[in-house]
Amino acid sequence: MKEENLPSIKELEEYVRQGKLMGFKCKKCGHKEVTPFVYCPRCGSSEVEVVELPKTGKVVTYTIQWVAPERFLNEVPYAWCVVELDDGTMVSGWIPFISKPEDLPIGQKVRMVKSYKPGVYFEKVKE
Amino acid sequence: MRKVVLLGTGSTKYGKLNVTAREAAVLAAKEAIEKVGISNRDVEAVFVSNVFGMTEKQGHLGPIIAHSLGIPYAPTFTVETACASGSTAFREAFVNIAAGFYDCILVVGTEKVSHLDTITATTYFSYGSDFAFEAVNGASFPGLYASIARYHMHKYGTTEEQLAAVAVKNHSNAIHNPKAHFHKKITVEDVLKSRVVASPLKLYDCCPFSDGASAAIIASEEFAKKHIDTLIYVLGTGRASAPAALFNRENMASIISSKLAAEQAFKNSRLTHKDIDFMEVHDCFTIAEVIAIEDMGFCKKGEGAKLAEEGVTEIDGKLPVNPSGGLKAKGHPVGATGVGQINEVYEQLLGEAGKRQVEGATTALTHNVGATGGTCNVLIFRRGD
Ligand SMILES: CC(C)(COP(=O)(O)OP(=O)(O)OC[C@H]1O[C@@H](n2cnc3c(N)ncnc32)[C@H](O)[C@@H]1OP(=O)(O)O)[C@@H](O)C(=O)NCCC(=O)NCCS
Ligand SMILES: [Zn+2]
Repeated sequence: MKEENLPSIKELEEYVRQGKLMGFKCKKCGHKEVTPFVYCPRCGSSEVEVVELPKTGKVVTYTIQWVAPERFLNEVPYAWCVVELDDGTMVSGWIPFISKPEDLPIGQKVRMVKSYKPGVYFEKVKE
Repeated sequence: MRKVVLLGTGSTKYGKLNVTAREAAVLAAKEAIEKVGISNRDVEAVFVSNVFGMTEKQGHLGPIIAHSLGIPYAPTFTVETACASGSTAFREAFVNIAAGFYDCILVVGTEKVSHLDTITATTYFSYGSDFAFEAVNGASFPGLYASIARYHMHKYGTTEEQLAAVAVKNHSNAIHNPKAHFHKKITVEDVLKSRVVASPLKLYDCCPFSDGASAAIIASEEFAKKHIDTLIYVLGTGRASAPAALFNRENMASIISSKLAAEQAFKNSRLTHKDIDFMEVHDCFTIAEVIAIEDMGFCKKGEGAKLAEEGVTEIDGKLPVNPSGGLKAKGHPVGATGVGQINEVYEQLLGEAGKRQVEGATTALTHNVGATGGTCNVLIFRRGD
């Protein structure tokens, strides 16, 4: 999707490679998502802007992948996780070197970091 | 709207097949045509569902299947809504009959994936997620449902033992289904000890990669009365979408499209939960059966996990769920699954399900989910007297 000032998925991926998370924000109701929209999925408004999202948040749920798709074969075991960022925006990402649930309590604080690895890469932060 | 009748069904065995998706589809369709006793030339249109045809280097399956069935000029329509493709094809065929456009339609779902190794198949299946925002970060399909499971466990206290009970029940039911992928009794212990695929889900919490095809023939009531005696009516249909990405849901232990589709189906069938004698639900993973029952309102949210454990969902329980063995043990040939559920309904409502027969069943529900709930279809069937 490439609409006027809104970034394409390719550009979003480039931001991720630079360690930045961008999101779409509805100017009318304030709803924010990382997935692209030209009308707000919550209120239907067409007033959409792009904003940079905070890099820290907490783990809402996750899985530890032992059988992985191709691009992640060398990372097994790792956690794929859903993170609620500090501003409430929901994203998914992954955390390397997680092999047991004790390694990653729900609610764990995490930070997105720049990485040469694929995808949105989080690491745990000590509170 | 005209009344719509399920005339009959057919199905190949599910599992590893030595034929391509197009061949499996033709075999299932021929069985359905012969069982119903109509002529192939009575079929006015063919609705096909298939998801991974491109891995066999074959798109545009519709006309190929129609040609093999001796109706090369019948219009065809091929649909893809991930694992819900079969019931989507069925529902859209229903709409065409109800609207009076056609009198008799063949719906056939087919899938072949056993030519793919585990990693390749896992990669292809991950394309059913919101790829650029989920799988791109390492999620596999089992991983997405595993995240639903962990959320459910965290929020409602569901245990791995309770999830295991779902697999044990469905494996036990499949033993009596000659067309099932697995004929293997398992215990809770076996499930808990099986290798982890995506924690907390283990091998026996997962449906397998299956090949297979299922077919259903539907028609107007008028057409049906000319050809068969016992009419099974398609009384209710519901269809809804939901945000494809799991993280865009308010409750990650819930599939909103299930709730919406069930509400529609109950409303337009004018039936209630108490009328349902049994149901075939989308148990691609053990947790999926639990949340299907909850989201459709058969129990309170968060309380679905104890039903299998307490025997409520067994064939002779109060609310039999997946007497066929479900996706878990009957198998999950993606494009075929939604039609396969209807095949089970047909056999059950005619009293032809043998040792897995739900005694006295006259009304049944099917629930079929695409991916993690981006699509859900719910159908309600009732046998006429
Ligand atoms: C779990 C999974 C990774 C296993 O991969 P696989 O390639 O089928 O596994 P293998 O070929 O290595 O199978 C090893 C053994 O386990 C058995 N097996 C495989 N999957 C099984 C399952 N889900 N349940 C029970 N047994 C299973 C096989 O029959 C085989 O047994 P055998 O050695 O006696 O012949 C795979 O089945 C899977 O990802 N399932 C989920 C599919 C999915 O996501 N579907 C979409 C859902 S909506
Ligand atoms: Zn809005």
